[in-house]
Amino acid sequence: MSYVVGQALKGFSIESVSAEAMQDWAVFLRDPNPIHLDVAVVKAKGLGDKVINQGPANVAYVINMLHGAIPGGRIGKMESRFVDNVYAGDHLLAGGAITAVAPGRLTCETWLRANGDRLVISGTAEIHL
Amino acid sequence: MSATDLPPPPDVAGVCLDGTETYVITAAENAALCASTCVAPAGDGTAHPVYYYIATQVAMGKTIAGVCDVCAFNVEDGPMMGSSGAEFFGPLLLDTPYRVRGTILGLVRKRSRKLGVMDVLTYRLSLHDESDAAVLQTENVWVLPRGELA
Repeated sequence: MSYVVGQALKGFSIESVSAEAMQDWAVFLRDPNPIHLDVAVVKAKGLGDKVINQGPANVAYVINMLHGAIPGGRIGKMESRFVDNVYAGDHLLAGGAITAVAPGRLTCETWLRANGDRLVISGTAEIHL
Repeated sequence: MSATDLPPPPDVAGVCLDGTETYVITAAENAALCASTCVAPAGDGTAHPVYYYIATQVAMGKTIAGVCDVCAFNVEDGPMMGSSGAEFFGPLLLDTPYRVRGTILGLVRKRSRKLGVMDVLTYRLSLHDESDAAVLQTENVWVLPRGELA
């Protein structure tokens, strides 16, 4: 497979972020923060009216995108900047583009957007081929 | 924006975050995590790479609440993840005991138009296998809003 600078990475989508999955992530992360589990707490804190997805789960969607877009590639480095929250029920699309090509490795910009155009993660990744 | 008129944040640089327990990514939990993100497990004995964050965070020497406490910040006041970076030196393997080493790099007090006064916490963690080889290193940045200083 050949890659060129500017090439868009095949997207990875989540149709609707699951509140039940947030309960699973609370276990994975050993983190019972109620903003991920209890709508009443989210409302009381003035953070919205839906539970908020854990940030690392959002990073996992970006990783899934990289795996799907660059088959056989291995993540060497990645950086994720958390720009906004993801809420239960959000439709997500992870994507990116190749910014540099070198022997045996690619550099990419990455992003995760909610409900069309709301940026929630922006980042970079270095992939070893 | 200048923060020179603000009291300095606690001096936490150098605080040790070494873990005391090993962390094992089980095949069952990896499968559950992969299912929760709508993909299948790799099937080659490697874990989902997002375990770079989970393994280091869970097995470091303090909880997030504990780290906030060191920074004189109440975790109930809502710490926010600013960024997370990772560098992988090898694959993350299932059913393999790992240990965490880490340290707080710094706590910087700033003014933000959006959040008012905040402290920016940066810490670095690394994950080591039984031979003490580092398999990855991660650096996380958390934003601690300091509404009381606004």
